[in-house]
Amino acid sequence: MKEKKGADPKMIVAVQMLSIGIILVCLGTLVFFLSPIGRMDPFVRICSIASNSSITLLGLFFIIGGFFRYKKAKNEN
Amino acid sequence: MHSDFIIIGMYLVLMFAAGIFFSRNIKNTADYFLAARSVPWFWIMGAVWATNIGFLHGYLAHGGAAYEWGLIQANFEWFQGPFGYILTGLFFIAFYWRAGIFTVPHFLERRYGSGLRVIYSLAWLIIFVVTIAAELYLGGMFLKNLLHIPFWPTVFVLTAVVGTYTLLGGLGAAIMMEFVQFVIMMLGTIPLLFILLHFIGGFTGLKDILLSQWGVSAQYFTVLPDIHHPYGPGPWIILGQCFVVTIGWCAGHQSMVQRNLGARSLYDAKLGYVVAAIPKTLGAFLYVVPMIAAPIFFAQRGIFVEKADAAYGKLILNLLPSGMLGLFIAGLVSAGLSSIGSVLNSSSTMVIKDIYERFLVKGKSDHHYFIAGRIATFGIIVVSLLLVPVVLKVYLIMWLEQTLIAMVLGPFMGVLVLAIFWRRTNTPGSLVGFLTGGAFAIFLQQGLGIKVFFQISWWSFVVTFLVTMIVSLYTKPPRKEKVEGLIWESDFRAQLGKVLEQRAESNGIKVKEVPEIKIKKPPFYLNLKYWATVILLIQVVLLLFFG
Repeated sequence: MKEKKGADPKMIVAVQMLSIGIILVCLGTLVFFLSPIGRMDPFVRICSIASNSSITLLGLFFIIGGFFRYKKAKNEN
Repeated sequence: MHSDFIIIGMYLVLMFAAGIFFSRNIKNTADYFLAARSVPWFWIMGAVWATNIGFLHGYLAHGGAAYEWGLIQANFEWFQGPFGYILTGLFFIAFYWRAGIFTVPHFLERRYGSGLRVIYSLAWLIIFVVTIAAELYLGGMFLKNLLHIPFWPTVFVLTAVVGTYTLLGGLGAAIMMEFVQFVIMMLGTIPLLFILLHFIGGFTGLKDILLSQWGVSAQYFTVLPDIHHPYGPGPWIILGQCFVVTIGWCAGHQSMVQRNLGARSLYDAKLGYVVAAIPKTLGAFLYVVPMIAAPIFFAQRGIFVEKADAAYGKLILNLLPSGMLGLFIAGLVSAGLSSIGSVLNSSSTMVIKDIYERFLVKGKSDHHYFIAGRIATFGIIVVSLLLVPVVLKVYLIMWLEQTLIAMVLGPFMGVLVLAIFWRRTNTPGSLVGFLTGGAFAIFLQQGLGIKVFFQISWWSFVVTFLVTMIVSLYTKPPRKEKVEGLIWESDFRAQLGKVLEQRAESNGIKVKEVPEIKIKKPPFYLNLKYWATVILLIQVVLLLFFG
């Protein structure tokens, strides 16, 4: 049995990072816009904003990191 | 409530689309079953933890048990779980890597022959199919009760999402989604604890109300209670649960191990497993501690909870505002989907690698097995869906899962420990020992009526260990070349590359295609031993406070 040439591991990780980042940013932004922030108890509001913004921020990091890895992997190929 | 539906719906759509997008990169069996051996340590950390947390083992079941029995439920998160992760990461994973395998049964075959491989694979396949059906059932029921949506369409939507990305993208897609699910669970569900404690007066207030005003037993706040505790006697938690079930689960559960076999290097595999102990420890703050505080919140608001399993749903419905609730439910759905996806992917790997390719259809092209892997995934989805109505009506199916796990993990640990530490252990010994240990577990459960799961595992481990040793001593020892590279040796590192090359050549793979074994000094912040020490110290501190 002979293995066919598989996917580039670096490209796989880059695509994974990009996909994860996009999902997190979309979800974090959506929750932020759909939450009735103004009507929340002050403490709950802080928790909600902290939770959403950390998800969105992490997503942004992944998008940026994934983009650079994607470009690097494409150039190497 | 409408905005919550939009959040959950959008989350499912995003996962579905990402799965399809990712699947374009998958080209052969190594890509499909081992994610092109590309997985970095932080992916493994998230994936291992998310695999372990589902509706069944996590939020709903563990949360319900914590509501009823208290902090003892945190022994999974604060004691045995991290211990199992660290030991497996530091020790067992290297043996699997060295053997160049795709599955855990494959390792058993390398050491003991094909008989044990078949028995072990079939037992886990039954457990996996039942687990998927049970997760789908619990997820469907939870969403039905919480959001008042019909059961079957919900189950079909969940199956379609997780089935699509796992079927098309294999391990790479499953790990990617597990990392997303890890983030959503961690960051989306942790606010529940802070909000709850804010409303009931903090952790001091919680302890004060429960111990002083309500007269709750001090054992309610103990991770390792005394031997008379009806739910989990402390000594049995240490012996049976920690040393046999948890380590067996971490080192012998194909879903847990497969994430590490797909790692880009041995160091990533080991580090990923070790640092997964951090989210594991934090997990108690997601579903154990909130459930201990929940009775006070319910009493303050006059909310009646009829069953412990329903407490989690009632808590989030009454505590979280719209938007946050949607994100929280997305986190819970994540827990279920991550477990289903990992088990689905591992089942198909075992069907193809341990049964189809090994015994049924040998010597076909790689593409053939790649397509067969996708068909197997689809088949397992269908069988699991057909089992959901059975899970609904027959308690037997859950009993079957529990019994099989008890039957498998004790004997597995017995033969694994001997496989690694005793060169003399041979095929007849392991086979007789494994089957005797399994039969003894059934006898303990059915014949003697022992209900404590980890007691059964411990004694089946002891019986397997002794029988395997005795039979091995009275039969022919294994050939030296058969065990070379698979047992504990002082020149472990020196042999690592050599053995992997030999294995690859015997499989007809070019040596240059074998994943590179990186053994170089890591930066201090990624040092495996530092992380393991820090995590173990945290466990010691937690046990000193709550032990």
